[in-house]
Amino acid sequence: METLDFLLQGFAVALTFENLMFAALGALLGTLVGALPGLGPANGVAILIPLAFGMGLSAEASLILLTSVYAGAMYGGRISSILLNIPGDEPAMMTCLDGHPLALKGKAAESLAISAIASFIGSFLATIGLVILAPWLARFALKFGPAEYFALFTLAFATLGGITGKNQFKTVIAACIGLMIATVGIDLSTGNQRYTYDILELYEGIDFIIAIVGLFAISELLVFIEKHSSEGLKRVVLNKLKLTAADIIGILPTSLRGSVLGFIAGVLPGAGASLGSFISYTLEKRIIGDKGHFGEGDPRGIAAPEAGNNAAANGALVPMLTLGVPGSGTTAVLLAMLVSLNIQPGPMLFTQNADLVWGVIAALFVGNLILLLMNIPMVGVFVKLLSVPPKYLMPIVTLIASVGIYAISNSAVDLFFMIGFGVLGYILRKLEIPLVPIILGMLLGPEMEKSLRHALTLSNGDWSVLWSSSLAVGIWTLAVVGLITPYILGPILRRKMTKEAEKVQITGS
Amino acid sequence: MKGDRILGVVLLIIAFVYGWEAVHFPEPFGGAETVGPETFPIMLSIILGISSIYLLIKPDADSEWPGVAMLSQLLFVIIALAIFTALLEPVGFIPATIFVVSFLCWRMGSKPVPALTTGVCCALSVFLLFNFVLDLHLPAGILEFG
Repeated sequence: METLDFLLQGFAVALTFENLMFAALGALLGTLVGALPGLGPANGVAILIPLAFGMGLSAEASLILLTSVYAGAMYGGRISSILLNIPGDEPAMMTCLDGHPLALKGKAAESLAISAIASFIGSFLATIGLVILAPWLARFALKFGPAEYFALFTLAFATLGGITGKNQFKTVIAACIGLMIATVGIDLSTGNQRYTYDILELYEGIDFIIAIVGLFAISELLVFIEKHSSEGLKRVVLNKLKLTAADIIGILPTSLRGSVLGFIAGVLPGAGASLGSFISYTLEKRIIGDKGHFGEGDPRGIAAPEAGNNAAANGALVPMLTLGVPGSGTTAVLLAMLVSLNIQPGPMLFTQNADLVWGVIAALFVGNLILLLMNIPMVGVFVKLLSVPPKYLMPIVTLIASVGIYAISNSAVDLFFMIGFGVLGYILRKLEIPLVPIILGMLLGPEMEKSLRHALTLSNGDWSVLWSSSLAVGIWTLAVVGLITPYILGPILRRKMTKEAEKVQITGS
Repeated sequence: MKGDRILGVVLLIIAFVYGWEAVHFPEPFGGAETVGPETFPIMLSIILGISSIYLLIKPDADSEWPGVAMLSQLLFVIIALAIFTALLEPVGFIPATIFVVSFLCWRMGSKPVPALTTGVCCALSVFLLFNFVLDLHLPAGILEFG
């Protein structure tokens, strides 16, 4: 019952007036970030990190604000999938399958409400899962020595491409680029300068926040201009909501199943929210079979993927908080925030920063409730936002991103670095080099090198120490499997997913 | 094909230079240890080298690159952002923002008048919000008063 005590303490942190305001603000901003065209969750959180610093928020307040943004973005992503058949982000793709047909039948409001309820159930159950699993995993992770950590970091990179990743070598290249950038600066254990070329600004290394905002936000602006996608999406009128208790009870079993599957997919490395929603949807379709009318606007077809992707998003916080190893782009950005608040995630987090971590978990519960309450009555406001044309939105977002970067250290040099990373990000996106491993490399680089050095110093330079324990061997095996499976399973899964996506195109047109 | 090949060559050069530098790091103060500052970088350079050779041998199909006209347009956007950065401190936040936001709106296809309006409104509201509500001081530059 120790956990329950901690959780209650967490609620004491999360339920202060100030923190409640931040959770509400975060939920609102998050839904906006998810709903607005051209702003992914990772992007939105990245832009807000320097602003949270600039405002001098406490560690709890900034974490609560940004985790609420993260939770909110998952809610926001579904709006355009349901109304316009355009998924806001990748995990929302499966929501199009039944959400849009139902909206076409004149039940857009019901469709949105059902998805909000299913999202809530998914997040809520996954947060309970997090409460149970995270302390247990954290205790287990105390057994890890430097060699195991080194293997674990490698595992994180190996599975980052995901099972559906296309070219594993490109993930490896991206990870190397990120790790290389991380080695720039003064070497902490010897004081040697590495790759600084006597440039003063490089002595402290390159700030990953600048890199994240540049790689994501600035390159997004360039891609938008290139695609000429500057007009807003078409305006949609919502019908009046008519939802009965029977409708809600009807989707309950589906939501429960979806949540469990999604949570598992979120916790496992390499699966993530897209796969979570995909598995939930296909399984539900198989269970209900011909009794349902999937693909034609079955409410259960909305509930399954929405519960799945929200559960997966919260499940992904488990490895991030307990091991310090994020599994997706957005959790990587959340990790960036922790590291810049000088909080090292990992098993010690649950003992050293118990207040903070449980406060955040409690804030997830509170934030989800706020999101549900906010999303049902206020959905009309968010729907209107879909028609904001990116030609006004993107410049403003770019400006706010730049102001945040400037606010970190009041130096214009940082802004030049940001622009440079933007150009780099654009070129890499064109070459289909994934950006997330670069960020992760910059984040994990110092820790990864430290664990390698610890392990090798303890063994007097004997490299076999890296795979001397059975735990380490297990992790290495997983890493190799993670790197190779996409070559075998990837093409099959990708084909299935595009086949489903094509169905959307047909029903949508 | 071409894109990946060029990338492969560039990365191979980077891997080589990066690794070569690591091998020639000066010996750390207090004598060399079994694992020095060069161990991890050398590993990285080997892995990057192998991966870039793979790209050279088995490049993916190219994605579509924009034409010269579009590339020069993107270049203008980059230059505009750089001008914003250069102007920010000497001239001040408000003029620099009006310039960059209006320019970006216009380049993204809005008409000059709404673009300028967006720029002015955005500059004023962000400046007021940051300086007075969030207490983050942005440079006032030539508009300094008081």
